[in-house]
Amino acid sequence: MTAVTDHMTVPGAAPQRKTPKGTFDIVFRNASFLSALFVLVLLAGIMLSMVIGGWPAFREMGIGFITSSVWDTQNDQYGAWPAIVGTLSTAFLALVIGVPLSLGIAVYLTQLAPPWFKQPVSTAIELLAAVPSIIYGMWGLFVFVPLFAAYVQIPLSNIVEGLPIVGTVLYSRSPSGLGILTAGIILAFMIIPFIASITRDMLDQIPSVLRESAYGIGATTWEVVRHVLVPQAGVSIIGAIMLGLGRALGETMAVTFVVGNANRLSASIMDPGSTIASRIANEFNEAMGLQLNALIALGCILFFVTFVVLVIARILVSRVKAY
Amino acid sequence: MSLTTPSTVRALPHAEWGRVRQSRRTADKLMRITAAGFTGLAIFVLFWILGMLIVKGLGGLSAATFTQITPGPGSEGGGLANAIVGSVVLTFLGIVVATPIGVLAGTYLAEYGKGSKLADLIRFINDILLSAPSILIGLFVYVIMVEPLGGYSGWAGGVALGIIAIPVIVRTTEDMLRLVPGPLREAGSALGAPPSVVITSITWRAAKSGMVTGILLALARIAGETAPLIFTALNNNFWFSPTLKGGVSNLPVTIYQFASAPYENWQQLAWAGSLIITMSILVLSLIARRIVRGSK
Amino acid sequence: MLSTLELSPQSLDADAPVRIAVKNLDFYYGEHKALKNINLDFRDRHVTALIGPSGCGKSTLLRIFNRIYSLYPEQKATGEVLLDGRNVISNDIDVNELRSRIGMVFQKPTPFPMSIYDNVAFGIRLYEKPPKSELDDRIEGALRRAALWDEVKDKLKASGMGLSGGQQQRLCIARTIAQKPEVILFDEPTSALDPISTGKIEDLLEQLKTDFTIVIVTHNMQQAARISQYTAFMYLGEVIEFAATNTIFMNPSKKQTQDYVTGRFG
Repeated sequence: MTAVTDHMTVPGAAPQRKTPKGTFDIVFRNASFLSALFVLVLLAGIMLSMVIGGWPAFREMGIGFITSSVWDTQNDQYGAWPAIVGTLSTAFLALVIGVPLSLGIAVYLTQLAPPWFKQPVSTAIELLAAVPSIIYGMWGLFVFVPLFAAYVQIPLSNIVEGLPIVGTVLYSRSPSGLGILTAGIILAFMIIPFIASITRDMLDQIPSVLRESAYGIGATTWEVVRHVLVPQAGVSIIGAIMLGLGRALGETMAVTFVVGNANRLSASIMDPGSTIASRIANEFNEAMGLQLNALIALGCILFFVTFVVLVIARILVSRVKAY
Repeated sequence: MSLTTPSTVRALPHAEWGRVRQSRRTADKLMRITAAGFTGLAIFVLFWILGMLIVKGLGGLSAATFTQITPGPGSEGGGLANAIVGSVVLTFLGIVVATPIGVLAGTYLAEYGKGSKLADLIRFINDILLSAPSILIGLFVYVIMVEPLGGYSGWAGGVALGIIAIPVIVRTTEDMLRLVPGPLREAGSALGAPPSVVITSITWRAAKSGMVTGILLALARIAGETAPLIFTALNNNFWFSPTLKGGVSNLPVTIYQFASAPYENWQQLAWAGSLIITMSILVLSLIARRIVRGSK
Repeated sequence: MLSTLELSPQSLDADAPVRIAVKNLDFYYGEHKALKNINLDFRDRHVTALIGPSGCGKSTLLRIFNRIYSLYPEQKATGEVLLDGRNVISNDIDVNELRSRIGMVFQKPTPFPMSIYDNVAFGIRLYEKPPKSELDDRIEGALRRAALWDEVKDKLKASGMGLSGGQQQRLCIARTIAQKPEVILFDEPTSALDPISTGKIEDLLEQLKTDFTIVIVTHNMQQAARISQYTAFMYLGEVIEFAATNTIFMNPSKKQTQDYVTGRFG
């Protein structure tokens, strides 16, 4: 710093020149602080508005709001169970399909792709995240659903009919192509870019000397990935998966297009169902009175479930081990 | 150091080569094929979606798409003019709401909040909001704006989109400001400039392109949002009032309502709208990416 | 400076067979030629040190022997590196098996994210399926040989990442020798360690020489003088002088070598 003051013509004059800058400094600092606080206010506001808006439904239905399967707008009876199960099962199926795909993509990008190919492929995968939810819904409903009905649901139902367990879980009573599994598949492609790109970054962060020493002992690429790189990235990959789960739980438009929007619960993943988000999107604009409160109460449940999932995800992702 | 030297640890004599078990080679090859196949599948889906949009959307695209308003049920023809303009207005509103708050909050986290527990908490909560379901933001704005103020409005839609955009801008602003080297700030302070002046005239300027990228990414994020608009801006088939009271027509909700309607012109418009919105967003994302890479 | 060097007292066996023979070796990072016409012989059960200023290509040369450079498509080697007569840089060599025959210990300790036991067992299990009792014996043997057994025998199931830096490096050595390689490459193995840990590793090298052919890259001339029988001095991608360590340090034939070992440039 002395070098700087040496060249100044009036050394030491700067601190004394208190001009309007001083006021601006205070205003700017406070404005920044309040804006940052606003982020906390937002989260608190969302939480409060969900609890307060949904409170009448919780009060009216009690624990039955969660456990009941009845959703009857005529008699003002509301139970969230089918929507909760639908939300969890579509998100679970999305993970079952999306996680292996994402890990495979991350491994390909970090270990296998030729250098010149890595950038364009990475960009393409990330663009999957830029495609709006509603477009996935259009693709799902008009392109994927008919194919899925004709080439998966119908043949599969013929095969599994009458068999124990799979005859129930995989049998479609009305092979329309819509259903829980369809929603899970579409969701899988929507969460892939998130899980794949975080996992890719985590694998890239592992020091190359660790990777080299694993190869140096004579391991194949598969062995290096499975026994050294993935365990090394460890919890942060689980964090990435939780982040994907958070996305899948709250995804609305795409699911609304393809899940079938049935209010009843079915034992088959081929049958239509509904999720919390799809139920809200479908009914909100026509809802009145207690139904409106019930829908906000659904939002409240979704909020707390995704909040917990995302908190765990962020804790795990941020715990990147410095080697 | 007293070492016992068990005879088991010796260099192999000139042992035969070919000790790599076939199963290891097979597993490795299988993994390579699977990983490449999965990557190919994801890219295939991307191009499948884009191809679908081009094939089905180009047919519905004409001059009328941009000049005429959305048709009512059963009426012929029509376009998307009101929905496109409405979307631009809502998205613009969202960015106008989000940019000052997001930039200032990001600045606080990067410049003032170093080492403070509160800043850590805000950063953490911001990351949660970044992935919070957008439908909940829509419900939130419905409860705080639509219900109390007596009806759907473009303002509510803009605020909902703004709330979705804020965490994106906070995060990128903070990240970009952290990339600005410390000595640059110190040099500014050494000249006697107060922190606010150092930040606005030195740090922000150094991080400018990165911060613009954050705003572009936020733009791309909110331009296609549908769920939060259903509860706030709603949609209709008219030109909206300049006060933005009542529903404001917009592309995403129009697509949602037209896509599975029984009228063929509605379906065509839904496809045309899908093509317009997706291409705009992809171009925005690619530009943002280009800027980031250019500045590195 | 010369007087402070303790020169290795061991006599070298001039008739020892050549384990690795390098012939007309060139190496490229993309367009850049990093090694020029290298010719060297590495003798069985001797320690050969590669010394030279940073950037001279000594690590690059080491990374050719076990084909680690093949992980990076833009890097290319031409010429011959013969391990017992087989050219290891030809395309028809199985690089995985090559690396099990030519082990490598790196600059930084690199324990794998698994238990101490599994770290040592990892390399063995890749190539052999010994019964449990034999595996236990071999792991104990390798850990003893790496002078680590007494420190870890009660916590074999603990993570290898919980050990100190010096212990981690000895774990990496145990992991390498457990595979019974023919050659062990050491790439500045003590550069990240404190003097006491460094001393332990140097003692180990002395012991390992009785069974393994060792090539070590070091920027520390005293270390090279203490532990090696042969030394190659490299500069700007070329081998300037290669001879018995005593000769290199006491009576070098090239002026550049003399300047370097006496500390006049580096």
